[in-house]
Amino acid sequence: MTEMMLKVEDLHARYGAVEVLRGLDFEVPEGNVVVVLGANGAGKTTTLRALCNMCTTTGTVLFEGDDITRAKTADIVRRGVAHVPQGRGTFPELSVMDNLKIGAYTRKDNEVGADVDRWFEIFPRLEERRDQLAGSLSGGEQQMLAVARALMCRPRLLLLDEPSLGLAPLIIEDLFERFAQLNKETGLTMLLVEQNANLALDMADYGYVIESGEIALHGPAEQLKNDPAVQEAYLGA
Amino acid sequence: MDVVLLLQRIFDALFNSAIYSSLALALVIIFRSTGLLNFAQGEMATFSAYIAFVLLAGAAPGVKGGGLASWIGAPLVTPVAIGLAVIIGIGAGAATERVLIRPLRNAPELALVNVTIGILLALNSLMGQWWGTGPRVFPPFFPSSPGDHIDIAGARIRYSTVGAWLVLLTLLLLLALLLRYTRAGLAFRAVSIDPVSAALNGIRVGPTLMYGWALAAGLGAIAANMSANSVLLEPTMMVRVLVYAFAAATLGGLDSPKGALVGGVVVGLSQTLIPAYVPFIGFELSVLPALVAMVVVLIVRPAGLFGTQRIERV
Ligand SMILES: Nc1ncnc2c1ncn2[C@@H]1O[C@H](COP(=O)(O)OP(=O)(O)OP(=O)(O)O)[C@@H](O)[C@H]1O
Ligand SMILES: [Mg+2]
Repeated sequence: MTEMMLKVEDLHARYGAVEVLRGLDFEVPEGNVVVVLGANGAGKTTTLRALCNMCTTTGTVLFEGDDITRAKTADIVRRGVAHVPQGRGTFPELSVMDNLKIGAYTRKDNEVGADVDRWFEIFPRLEERRDQLAGSLSGGEQQMLAVARALMCRPRLLLLDEPSLGLAPLIIEDLFERFAQLNKETGLTMLLVEQNANLALDMADYGYVIESGEIALHGPAEQLKNDPAVQEAYLGA
Repeated sequence: MDVVLLLQRIFDALFNSAIYSSLALALVIIFRSTGLLNFAQGEMATFSAYIAFVLLAGAAPGVKGGGLASWIGAPLVTPVAIGLAVIIGIGAGAATERVLIRPLRNAPELALVNVTIGILLALNSLMGQWWGTGPRVFPPFFPSSPGDHIDIAGARIRYSTVGAWLVLLTLLLLLALLLRYTRAGLAFRAVSIDPVSAALNGIRVGPTLMYGWALAAGLGAIAANMSANSVLLEPTMMVRVLVYAFAAATLGGLDSPKGALVGGVVVGLSQTLIPAYVPFIGFELSVLPALVAMVVVLIVRPAGLFGTQRIERV
């Protein structure tokens, strides 16, 4: 039986008086890629934010068996959860290099330099711009930096909020190949929010569909791909 | 124009410049990290000078806490007393963030500014109650006897001015190294730019801000202890200095340490030189040139001389 890396029970989240998540239950097994689909405003971003205690929540979030529902965001990251938020997470006024160093802030080992080199190898455009301010990168380059930044802390669980946003199709494919490779080679567990449902379901093991803050549908990725409702709403069939 | 006199006036103004720059730097550190103008910065600094005073005075009528010095084993020598007072000031700065600012972090910024004004008033009354509102004699930080000066081209620059600048520049250099080359400095810069993203990198935002407040309080405490000898120690000692420091920090760009330095020099010099050479501005109006300079800079460059113009995401 696979170990549950993340187990979420009856998760509610609100902004002020508005309840955005209305009782989610879901799990992410260790080593899996789980995708979250849903229309704009369904609550996908809020779900990821709730996991990191970045909004007001009730319910239970277990990470590797520990209750992290009330833990501080920084401490959740220190436990091994990295979050690439929607269009955020990097520092526009700092250089590419400093952003990567900040990503490794929680680490005490001496392989940070080697990791930076590895990411430069994967994203050569970042190496060319290592001393440039992150804010002056193109949208796609910023997205690469956001991903590399998050992985610099060597997480065990990676939360990705629409990593393909604003990227050219070729780059998206490349990025997803990297994700698949990371998952296969290092066993990195991922929870992925994605509009590009085709690509996401191809890579994922399991999927959830959120509608108005509730889980409308879930199942193995293969099964979701063939579900007529999913095909109509998200796969453009 | 009498060049020697001009030079003398510049030398005299440079002491105040150093004090303004130090306090402006304290304001900048808190503004950058917490996004807040700390109106209590001056009183927090004065409080530290009173601690030094208490440690030096020993038990005496009207000196609250004067027994402390004898309890430690008085009389303390001036550098030790001031050193201790600065350390206590640093601790008090950290405590202020922890106890009064952090619990209110979700309140609107303006409300927090009002809290700092509250701290200003509370500290001011407290100092008046404990140590009286009248001025107290405070020992010099640097040798300040009549002969303690250097002659340059016929004008005299006092040791205290040279000393104040050495202290300020050393602190600035240390700050720059800290920000650029240490993990804590990187965390501080990250929190200053975006606390939410900083937390997502595992940086604990609260403690980082607390170190910022401690640092700022330390700078203010040093400034107050350096100037308490020349202006005499009293609860309102730093009130005018704070106004000048605000002008200096705004002029320099509120989020720029370099700006605080340059702003302090500009304000200090204009405060002395303009009343001296512009007949219709008397010394009573000496705050005016600094404020005019501030307004002019803000019209031409809204971010201040060295302030960051925000980079917007595409
Ligand atoms: N900071 C906020 N304050 C108030 N309401 C918010 C806030 N953030 C999101 N919401 C609301 O919560 C709901 C869910 O938003 P969320 O960002 O989670 O959607 P999403 O599924 O990620 O959408 P998208 O695909 O557009 O990114 C929306 O109705 C949105 O208006
Ligand atoms: Mg979203």
